[in-house]
Amino acid sequence: MAKRNFQYMDMAKMFFGGDHPLFKAFGIRVDESREGLAAMTMPCMPEMCDQRGALHRGAITTLLDSNCGLAILAYLGDMRPIATIDLRVDFLAKPEAGEGVRGEVECYEVKGDVAYVRGVALGCSNDSVLASVSGCFAVGTHGPSFDGAVREKAVREKVS
Amino acid sequence: MSVSQQQLQQRQLQEQDVVGIEDRKAQAPISDSPYVNFLGAGIQVLDNGEPVYQMSFRDQHVGNPLIKTFHGGILASFAEIVAAHHVKSDLQLSEEPDCTSMTFDYLRPAFAGTLRAEPITVRVGKRFIVITVDVFTEKTLVSRGRFIYTAVR
Repeated sequence: MAKRNFQYMDMAKMFFGGDHPLFKAFGIRVDESREGLAAMTMPCMPEMCDQRGALHRGAITTLLDSNCGLAILAYLGDMRPIATIDLRVDFLAKPEAGEGVRGEVECYEVKGDVAYVRGVALGCSNDSVLASVSGCFAVGTHGPSFDGAVREKAVREKVS
Repeated sequence: MSVSQQQLQQRQLQEQDVVGIEDRKAQAPISDSPYVNFLGAGIQVLDNGEPVYQMSFRDQHVGNPLIKTFHGGILASFAEIVAAHHVKSDLQLSEEPDCTSMTFDYLRPAFAGTLRAEPITVRVGKRFIVITVDVFTEKTLVSRGRFIYTAVR
């Protein structure tokens, strides 16, 4: 069991923090992923900002959507394919210019093919709540699992 | 020709206009924020003055690289940017209003391609403005968002 969890964590960190073009562009880092809980941090990169020089609310939404996905995978303990059904984000405050944002999301239930999540986005400078998120995701959707690309890469590297 | 057939033909002609517009007109960024530039979200104005909001797939937009779909956050970002621009231009505001809340329904996978967004003003109240945005790939509706803005007076 411990070995399986270690492999999953390895895969999750590689998928979300490695060569994935979107997570690389956003500078998203996985801080924590265990038992339905996941935390991710995004620095304030200039290209992700609004006119004030603060992270754009769209970038925060992208962080939260990713964070929800990781929380579900942490609940499931594997990387089977999932897809967002619906997402709600309430914007409570704006981040400061130059401030990074941390997402903390919990997957609190999986019923049949649906996973339910809730969480928050916090400002890195003082942990103030910037946004709240809730949503539901389809579990076990069609298509390859999320670790497929990571596994393919590992095999390619082993062969070469 | 029946009325419904005429409507269908008109709609097909409009859709052809939208599909072919990339070749005929330059696309301007929806706003001058760096994030909008990163997304490549643009606006084109048709001859009849109607705006068309579009965003073409880039590698950094990907959700699942194995099936090349748009990331959910990117889809929601695009729709919210369109909604904010729609409010600003419709109400002739000097600046974009603040988004208070958004809900986004993902109806189908959005495979790599060019997205088109169609905003609709649902209600302009004294304190809140409600906008919905439908997002299409080609002619397929892939997602629908509902955005609430606080009115700037």
